[in-house]
Amino acid sequence: MSREKLQKLGIDLPFFPTTSVGSFPKPDYLLKARGDFAKGKISREDLEEKSRQATEFWIRKQEELGVDVLVDGEMYRGDMVAYFAEQLRGFEEGGLVRSYGNRYYHKPIITGEVRWEAPITVGWWKYAQDLTEKPVKGMLTGPYTVMDWSFNEFYPGRRETCLALAKEIRREVEALIAAGAKIIQIDEPATSVRPEELQVAIEGLRAVTEGLSAYFITHICYGAFEFIYPGMLEMPVDNFDLEMSNSGLDMLELFKRHRFTKDISFGVVDVHSHVVEEDFVVEERLRQALDVLPKESIWVDPDCGLKTRTVEEATAKLQALVKVAKALRD
Amino acid sequence: MELILAHHSSYPRIGDSADHQLLRRTIAQWEKGEKTDADLRAAEDRMTELALSDQIEAGLEIVTDGQVRWYDAISHLAGKLEGIRITGLLRFFDTNTYFRQPVVQGQIERTQPLVVGDFQFAKGKSSRPVKPVLTGPLTLARHSVEGDGRAGSLEQLIESYAAALTSEVSDLAAAGASLIQIDEPSLLKHPEDLPQVERSLEAFGAAKGSSQLMLAVYFGDPAPIYEKLQALPVDALCLDFTYSSSLVGIVSTQGSAKPLALGLVDGRNTRLEDPRTVAGQLEKIARRLGSARTWLSPSCGFEYLPRDRAQLKLKHLRTIREEFLGSAE
Repeated sequence: MSREKLQKLGIDLPFFPTTSVGSFPKPDYLLKARGDFAKGKISREDLEEKSRQATEFWIRKQEELGVDVLVDGEMYRGDMVAYFAEQLRGFEEGGLVRSYGNRYYHKPIITGEVRWEAPITVGWWKYAQDLTEKPVKGMLTGPYTVMDWSFNEFYPGRRETCLALAKEIRREVEALIAAGAKIIQIDEPATSVRPEELQVAIEGLRAVTEGLSAYFITHICYGAFEFIYPGMLEMPVDNFDLEMSNSGLDMLELFKRHRFTKDISFGVVDVHSHVVEEDFVVEERLRQALDVLPKESIWVDPDCGLKTRTVEEATAKLQALVKVAKALRD
Repeated sequence: MELILAHHSSYPRIGDSADHQLLRRTIAQWEKGEKTDADLRAAEDRMTELALSDQIEAGLEIVTDGQVRWYDAISHLAGKLEGIRITGLLRFFDTNTYFRQPVVQGQIERTQPLVVGDFQFAKGKSSRPVKPVLTGPLTLARHSVEGDGRAGSLEQLIESYAAALTSEVSDLAAAGASLIQIDEPSLLKHPEDLPQVERSLEAFGAAKGSSQLMLAVYFGDPAPIYEKLQALPVDALCLDFTYSSSLVGIVSTQGSAKPLALGLVDGRNTRLEDPRTVAGQLEKIARRLGSARTWLSPSCGFEYLPRDRAQLKLKHLRTIREEFLGSAE
């Protein structure tokens, strides 16, 4: 079904299309430039120049590896929520809060009505797409996750916040489509944490995508799927990008009990491990997927964003999954 | 109703000033081998003192050490026990923060104190009573996994953790803790585990000496199990009111057989509650509880807030109490 939709959008993909979840590691020169920019040592233009250089590096790298649906690697982003909070009106940057261990981040605070004023990601998407003939995914963070990962001092409740954000994020989706994006991924990693709020997440995503012409993907991670499956299938997207390998493919058991009805971007490599999976491990994971899911519905990618790996590890992990997907395709 | 201002548990270990970045800096340098273990301890001590002084200056009458030494609520305790190996990161409830998961590899045994030293340090630095906090056996067990080749039941695992924590409760009591808090957020996700929690609290009760035990539940709505919580063998309950639309009503109609810590100030959001609204909730509850001793608290630890907002929220507890006392006159 979704394959027809892709064809209508002018995109012809092989079996087991390979892709990535979104983020790639930033090369050392970009990390240094981001540090220098934060200290006021270099201009925004200088930083953007380095971000473009790194984006081009990753586009070339994905082409060289033979990936089918590319991503821009999110070289311009620090954090997947803070980046959008900085660009939308109605947010303030909060003080530091701890994520884990010795890692901290500035958690955004909603202090007024949220408003989209100008395209946020479109320039980066266009820059990446102009570098390649392969389709590049548009990449956004969904309204439920932006709501859940921000403090809220303005809206009366969580649902109201989510829906207000959805209305504004939709404008970014419209801008991406107007620029030519055909495949758009809207990440909702927070979806699984409050199962009782699944309907809020669905409602939010519906407000973002309803009636718009693109192939939509959503990425959800961090487990606890047993509490939101099969309800999550109601999300108005064509493809679920899921972390499968980190949990030993546990989700396949859920799919056996209740049929998985969408396309899936099946995570075949663990992004939390330095170890690069051997081919037979990746192949075994894909074969297990094939036992439960129709061949035409399966895309192949890593579990999650690769940004915490080194450039070499990320490249090797992508290489492994492309090699196996291609071999099984033939 | 006598209203005592009590902090819940954790407190930010970082802030935006250079002084408040001491621990972060020291850990980063310690990881590179540029600082010694003693340097790290000194930085933790300093952040503990800052957490205590923030609470005391805000007017809190019961304080905590802010848990600034804790990597997370699970591995800080489990990691000090024999038979446990600490592994990868998992998301902690709906907080978008992460804990390291314990893997059970052998018999769980407590061969060293877990937080007694931290408590003694804080007690020595505080002009107010310090409340030590332990993550409870159910929450530890629910966040652990059995290692290869092991197939113990959840019930056995809870018992093993409970046995280890019982010695800790005993040592905390001996060290002079008058109030000890046991955190069981998992109980609200798994009310079916209540009998195991009851058994572990009985064991703690036998070890606590003259100190009082408070059970804290949060990250969920306690209303559905309110009556069962009342029947547990503890001296006091600390309840999260932020997930519930009915809890104020339930407490003000059913009352409480135990002293309550009312978690009416949201530890997860920066918005300052309207003092009149919270004072109104307190009045409703006070009409039913009469002169009972009651604590006003955050709904959970404050580590989820940036430091500037955590400070404001601490002071807000006093503002709310003044509003309540003013309107009650």
